[in-house]
Amino acid sequence: MHIPLWVVFAMVALVFWGITGVTQKLSTNAISTELSFLWFGVAMIALAVVVLPKVSVHWHVTPKDFWLAVMGGTLNSLGAYTSFAALEKGGKASIVIPLCYLYPLLTIILAITFLHESLTRPQLAGIVLALAAAILLSQEAPSQTDKTI
Amino acid sequence: MLWGVWGALTKVISADIDAYTNQVLFAIGVVPVMAIVLFSGRLSGGVNRKRGISYAFLTGVLGGTGNIAFFMAFSEGGKAAVVVPATSLSPLVTVILGYFILKERASGYQKAGLALAMVAIYLLSL
Repeated sequence: MHIPLWVVFAMVALVFWGITGVTQKLSTNAISTELSFLWFGVAMIALAVVVLPKVSVHWHVTPKDFWLAVMGGTLNSLGAYTSFAALEKGGKASIVIPLCYLYPLLTIILAITFLHESLTRPQLAGIVLALAAAILLSQEAPSQTDKTI
Repeated sequence: MLWGVWGALTKVISADIDAYTNQVLFAIGVVPVMAIVLFSGRLSGGVNRKRGISYAFLTGVLGGTGNIAFFMAFSEGGKAAVVVPATSLSPLVTVILGYFILKERASGYQKAGLALAMVAIYLLSL
């Protein structure tokens, strides 16, 4: 069975990001969301310094790509921070979290409209199942200490 | 929405720049948000600061490494419309680890989600 390399890398990303779901929870159980985010950012910068030697010496990055990539970091981290803020400002986790996980819908629309990507039938079915799975996975069991009124 | 735009944007950039350069530039982009947080006035307190900061740092390292793999998935020809829905299933790993590490029980919905996610990943890879 031949597994395309992009699938392998996507799965590595999935596993690493999945682990952060646990470490982030352990962090925000102990400190504020803001302090946690700040140290998350410090680690991002530290990692950037570590991978810097791997960056090509002959840096042919156009100003457009440079700013788009920087904007990517800002959009992503702002997305993470605002999702926490939405929860803290009284947004119901049962609504906010599933809504957050519908973000691939926007990517799919943008990718098909502007990048002219085409999808196979199994991939289309996979997208529908992935969206449904993402919403289901966000439905946490009520904590045993939760009290109903 | 911000994450949704990021997914498509990343695909565009990955055609021109490698994963490591992308991660370095990504980190630069995080700095303005760190500045906003820095002035939030909510950095004090916490029940165990050393532990919380250690886990936050670990989250950044793991998240950044995941980013590099995500960028490489695009460099290797992955489509944004497929890679992004596939990687958005990362809670699959969180739910499984939550069960074993945090002793959190999975809800019936989450168990159904785990099964659907496995099928979805297989279909997306075709």
